[in-house]
Amino acid sequence: MPERVVTNDELAPKLGLTSEQILRSSGILRRRWVEPGTATSSLASAALRLALDDAGLDSGNIDYLIFGTMTPDRFIPGSASAVQKKAGLRHIPCVDIRATCCNALYGLQLAAALVKSRTAKRVAVCLADVQSVWLDLSPAAANISMLFGDGASALIVGGEERESSVEIVDVLLATDGAYVDDLGLRSPGTEFGAGVARDLTPEQCRPHMKGQSVILQASRRIASACRELLQRNNLGIEQVRWIVPHQANSNLLAQVARALNFPVETGGVISILENFGNTSSASMGMALDNLRRSQRLQPGDYLLLPGFGAGFTWGAGLCRSLV
Amino acid sequence: MLLPKEAHDFLNENARRLGVPALQPTEDLFALGVLDSFALVDFIGVLEQACNIRVPDSDVSVPNFQTLETIEGYLEKHRG
Repeated sequence: MPERVVTNDELAPKLGLTSEQILRSSGILRRRWVEPGTATSSLASAALRLALDDAGLDSGNIDYLIFGTMTPDRFIPGSASAVQKKAGLRHIPCVDIRATCCNALYGLQLAAALVKSRTAKRVAVCLADVQSVWLDLSPAAANISMLFGDGASALIVGGEERESSVEIVDVLLATDGAYVDDLGLRSPGTEFGAGVARDLTPEQCRPHMKGQSVILQASRRIASACRELLQRNNLGIEQVRWIVPHQANSNLLAQVARALNFPVETGGVISILENFGNTSSASMGMALDNLRRSQRLQPGDYLLLPGFGAGFTWGAGLCRSLV
Repeated sequence: MLLPKEAHDFLNENARRLGVPALQPTEDLFALGVLDSFALVDFIGVLEQACNIRVPDSDVSVPNFQTLETIEGYLEKHRG
């Protein structure tokens, strides 16, 4: 995580809000932002080194890198190359994925397939976003700028059981491109003119979000995906011990738990929103790390990992603790 | 009235909590605060259960549920 803590008290006046309004509408008290000039790959490679240490591995043990980010260092090339260099990985295949806040789910699904097909023995799934530099810190963009933090996480996917590992049982993903205009960042891109956008206002070159559409679609589609995933694995929600969601917004997490009839009073919904905000690609991995370090995971515990992001793309993962 | 009792009860309970008097057919439920994005998701769940219908995700948008009149119009079309 970046060291700089940005509290609601610091941010709220710029956005024309109060600290309490941010807390009430998002569950966020503070977030971390990088110092200007920090590349996303720097956060990602730092997270990967920690993950390798934690797993008792070194960089030479990784034979495939998947890097999920929507805020790359550069437009071209993909930032996985920079992570490879900074983390000291061998000359292995390195690829970026851009599935926004579902990057962790896509990364896990792809990594599991690579291991299962014996294309790779150990895959590093790096997840990072530096969003603070893109944000419009004015009241016009308060609904989006109050949410986002910077951060990184990294997961090592391999075929062998290790201490604290979880099994990836199944991942379900879906996309509906009818909503591309409801959440995202339009430039740079070919649709609006390469490089510097010709016909866009400065505001259109910042992240934008139709909050109502995001909440409505996310609430419904995440819950449906979770139900379908559980059903196809012959499980009921009562067999799920932990929900480790993409950390979007505390009200959304509560809505999804309610829709699934998941008993929130057990403390089974993992939320790190209060301290870190929405860190997009990184958030699910960070929440998983938080749960793992809490030492509350028991062997056999099922974990449900719901996510939703720009696209819209959404889905859920199902894991089981091996500990 | 097409709108089932359970749906009326849901909206009226929200209105009562906000001190909103009896809801009129063309009043904007979102402007009144009777519905917001989260409440709409719950409301649609109530409608689906009470009417035994499935509202497609693509129909889950504010204009379809903005007033009592548009909700009834939507239900009529959906059932039609």
